[in-house]
Amino acid sequence: MAVANRFDLIVVGAGPAGLTAAIYASRARLKTIVLDEGVPGGQVKTTHKVSNYPGFPEDVKGAELADLFARQAERFGTRVARAIEITDMDLSSPEKRFVLDEDEEIVAPAVIVATGAKPRPLGVPGETEFRGRGISYCATCDGAYFDGKDIHVIGGGNSAVEESLFLTQFARSITIIHQFGEFQAEAATAKEAVEHPKITVLWSHEPRAFLGDANLERVRVENLKTKQTADLPTDGAFVFIGMVPRTDLLKGVVPLDRWGYVETDDSMATPVPGLYAAGDIRAKQYRQITTAVADGTIAALAVQKYLRDRR
Amino acid sequence: MSENVKEISAGDFETEVSGSPQPVVLDFFSTECPPCEALAPKFEALADQFKGRVRFLKIFRQGNKELATRLGVSGSPTLVFYKGGAEQGQRLTGEMKRSEIKQALEALLT
Repeated sequence: MAVANRFDLIVVGAGPAGLTAAIYASRARLKTIVLDEGVPGGQVKTTHKVSNYPGFPEDVKGAELADLFARQAERFGTRVARAIEITDMDLSSPEKRFVLDEDEEIVAPAVIVATGAKPRPLGVPGETEFRGRGISYCATCDGAYFDGKDIHVIGGGNSAVEESLFLTQFARSITIIHQFGEFQAEAATAKEAVEHPKITVLWSHEPRAFLGDANLERVRVENLKTKQTADLPTDGAFVFIGMVPRTDLLKGVVPLDRWGYVETDDSMATPVPGLYAAGDIRAKQYRQITTAVADGTIAALAVQKYLRDRR
Repeated sequence: MSENVKEISAGDFETEVSGSPQPVVLDFFSTECPPCEALAPKFEALADQFKGRVRFLKIFRQGNKELATRLGVSGSPTLVFYKGGAEQGQRLTGEMKRSEIKQALEALLT
């Protein structure tokens, strides 16, 4: 491996929090790199459209907003490293170190971890086996596979209901399986779904298993009120039951709360000097694009102070 | 695109996949699919690395719906591995790490 490439700040995760941190840091003349295992944008890039991000009076496509964030960071000199895998690292020492794709070594005195969250799996039998064979977690990716089909959506929060509405443009029918007697989604969205001719809802039901031969054919559901189970024929199932934090990098490095989120102080600092966390990975009450960009801002400003005080 | 990745359509499946003397990895991809975009650079880098040992093919799902349905592929991206014309090993789908794909390719060669 060649000599380590030196930065002032390494940001892990190119979602709204990480890219905002990079915008602030690179404008403050910190030499900044943002690492991502895919393309920039985080969860925003799989969001069909965004209606509540200020500055966009008309809806903006999630993928477009993600691209704008990345371009803005790059304009000020941030290097956005796409599709990399971190193959080795040290976050605990004063000088933080990463190895990318077993090939490039990078070091910096400060790191902001903004790896966000990923879809929560249901954890029922058959889920892993039929992933990509009928079970999906991304409507924009896989919706078109279900043109004219009869499918199920699991969940009842904002994502489940909004993605169900998105899927109506492909599927012939959508049955939402939800554990409660009403949606937890925003009232306007919930009403639209309940009234949609293609959507029916199985209230107070939970999936218990996914069944089939090579591909998903049936979903076993339990009626939580009667305790009766039934096997429902299906062409596909989309799971939207919330998120789990991506904290693989931080296990054993910083304390996590009981749900696996990272605890920080008000400046986004973890107990490890020079190590910060921002965005959906943090223990906090609300997780929105706007709260992620706020975290990223604060973390980048705190890093600037940390680096000044260190000198 | 790397010269070591070839895009095929369903009509080429018999000759390019079933009839290939070399092991094959076939990538089903879609548009508006962030994990597919994330896979593309990793897939190309591996195609260069495994050049001459594994054939790297990709196929556009929307244009080859019947083949996808016949193979039971319903998510993008999906990597399907073939050896001697028969499917081998586990498929990979959705978000995948470069090291996972590399492992699957090495298994295909043993």
